[in-house]
Amino acid sequence: MSKLIKAFLFASIICAPFAASAVTVASWGGAYTESQQKAYADTYSDPGSIVFENYNGGLGEVRAQVESGSVTWDLVDVLPGDAITGCDEGLFEDISSEIASMGVPGPDGESIAEDMENNGLEYHSGWDCCVPQIFWTYVVFYDPDAFPGEKPDSMADFFDVEKFPGKRGIHTWATGIIEKAMVADGVEPNAVPTVLEKQTGALDRAFAKLDTIKDHVVFWSSGSKPLELVKSGEVVMAIAYNGRVGAANLAEGENFEYIWEGQVLDQEYLCLTAGAPNRDAALDFMMHASSPESQAEQAKYITYGPMRASGIPIIVNGEPWGPGGVDIMPHMPNTPERLAVSIVSDPQWWSDNGAEIDERYAAWMGN
Amino acid sequence: MLLRSVDDSQINTVFPNTFEEYKKWDKEKDELPPEEVYKALFQELAYGEKVQVGRALTRMNYSKSGWKSLIKKTSRAIKKVVKKDEFPDSYKEFFIETNEKWADPTYWYAMGQMVNNQTSIYYWNAIDRTFDQELNVVQQEEDRRVYVQTWLKTLKVSIYVTLFCLILGFPVAHLLANLPLRYSNLLMIFVLLPFWTSLLVRTTAWIVMLQQKGVINGVLVWLGILSDDGRIAMVYNETGTLIAMTQILLPFMILPLYSVMRVIPKSHMRAAQNLGAKPVMAFWRVYLPQTIPGMSAGGLLVFVLAIGYFITPELVGGKDGKLIGSWIAYHLKTTLNWGLTAALGAILLGFMLIFYWLYNKIVGIDNIKLG
Repeated sequence: MSKLIKAFLFASIICAPFAASAVTVASWGGAYTESQQKAYADTYSDPGSIVFENYNGGLGEVRAQVESGSVTWDLVDVLPGDAITGCDEGLFEDISSEIASMGVPGPDGESIAEDMENNGLEYHSGWDCCVPQIFWTYVVFYDPDAFPGEKPDSMADFFDVEKFPGKRGIHTWATGIIEKAMVADGVEPNAVPTVLEKQTGALDRAFAKLDTIKDHVVFWSSGSKPLELVKSGEVVMAIAYNGRVGAANLAEGENFEYIWEGQVLDQEYLCLTAGAPNRDAALDFMMHASSPESQAEQAKYITYGPMRASGIPIIVNGEPWGPGGVDIMPHMPNTPERLAVSIVSDPQWWSDNGAEIDERYAAWMGN
Repeated sequence: MLLRSVDDSQINTVFPNTFEEYKKWDKEKDELPPEEVYKALFQELAYGEKVQVGRALTRMNYSKSGWKSLIKKTSRAIKKVVKKDEFPDSYKEFFIETNEKWADPTYWYAMGQMVNNQTSIYYWNAIDRTFDQELNVVQQEEDRRVYVQTWLKTLKVSIYVTLFCLILGFPVAHLLANLPLRYSNLLMIFVLLPFWTSLLVRTTAWIVMLQQKGVINGVLVWLGILSDDGRIAMVYNETGTLIAMTQILLPFMILPLYSVMRVIPKSHMRAAQNLGAKPVMAFWRVYLPQTIPGMSAGGLLVFVLAIGYFITPELVGGKDGKLIGSWIAYHLKTTLNWGLTAALGAILLGFMLIFYWLYNKIVGIDNIKLG
């Protein structure tokens, strides 16, 4: 018996350090987490110490963990609005000084913050607790076979059911669509966030534009759906996450076309949970994951673009960077030409107004 | 968790003086609150703990969109002033100079919703009502009214699904209970196999069956019953929700019905007919009353499950797919408005209790039987 206890104690001594040092990262799962595993964890000095866990977004679980004092997620992969709220509420730890001192600088010594500003981003309080990951976008795509003649190439075409008959696939929440409707209504893509913030009645304009396609819409709520809808011919065009379309084109031999005009870029962050059990190890991993090299590396596995400007030249100079020796830049959302016709979603504005607009959008949808 | 639906104490610990001064504001007389309110807010923002203020901001934004960045911008300006030790002469002017929104009384009116430790606002929000500046209950702005219609839709869908399950489940359960064992076992497997299959798989299968270019439409067009342009929209609308939910919840109706029907002696029906009842009458007067415990158990089970359902409706419901469960999940995870989450949950629980009470009045709770 005492032998058994000894063996047990021994085993627990051996196992304990492993168990304690495993950094748990909550992320979205699927191809996206796989790309993080390959680009961040596999290239890390101690790949075995990083464990990914799936979650469905939002801060509900994080708040429950922090408030109950039993934190199991060290790092959480979040949208910018959640980065802001989580940092303001103290669900994520303020590590601004650590990010400044430990962050991997760019080739010209840029700090992480400067590097993001070079990419056209503006400071928000999420930057105090989180490091940048990737740009992903809401983009419209279609199967060219569905349009034997002229092909749609603008937001105006997406909202024009006379010129391009057929159903459209759009999602069941407001982010991204509102901006696209503004572009279709004639607002310069780059000006959309300012118009939404400053102009009274801008939202009414967007909803009036949405009314014009309401009877020609199929709503989707999970990311794989728009691809199924377009593939099965249920709709002729759909809004989707660009990474899903990229994967279909690169890995499944599809030939979807994008409408880059009016794409809505959104950000993605990795944040440190307040009271994380493996805080220091997690911090070290964050710095590795946010280096320009890691961000560029991720583009090998998924078509989401680096949020740090200095990540892009690494990809451009490294072409062919994509899987099986294809050039990846043609599939990326943040090339200069595409950025010129894009909207960078304003997380602070959405954080302020998102709940109200989502309610209005749902009311619009249900009536 | 239920307490959160009425609790508003967190913000009151962050802005106690501001709220105290706020209560003295005579809205009839002055358009904007008096100088003391601005001064108290200045001090509480300047010396308040960052995280506590942050949590209060999330709360404030529920009462009016825009509070969050307004306070954050103002806080930054205040911190600068405090650092330089250059306190303004008029706090009111300082605030309005920092951001003109401070001269907009609607922000101040919205603050009135929060000045007490207890609040009923979340319950009012959950039925599309809100407070005006005098804290009277008024209708929410028209284009934001979404909860009442969702409640009604949720109830409608749950009742329909329960009825359809009963209509479809009754004959199946009857067959299961009365066939010879070797046939009924096979049939039972047909009931149980889908029951054990993943919800998502079954939902996706229904999409494949029902969509416009799907199996059913395809067959109907091939047979010439439908024209190619006349394909029926059976999914991404309420029809799809009803079909998929009914199929998914059907076993919860069949199984309790079956276990009750199995023990009804066959001799009862024969005895009734021997005594001169026609088959329909014998069924109506003798068989059906004995199945009530099973119908009630199945009905309650299906109804309870249906009223909180949200994954299947979201996937197959399209524009009609947002039931109240979706909103609860949305506020729990996305807006972090746990007060509203708790209020929605409490109302849902209330519905259940009312139905339970009605059921007890009409059928009697002793009449429920799972086997």
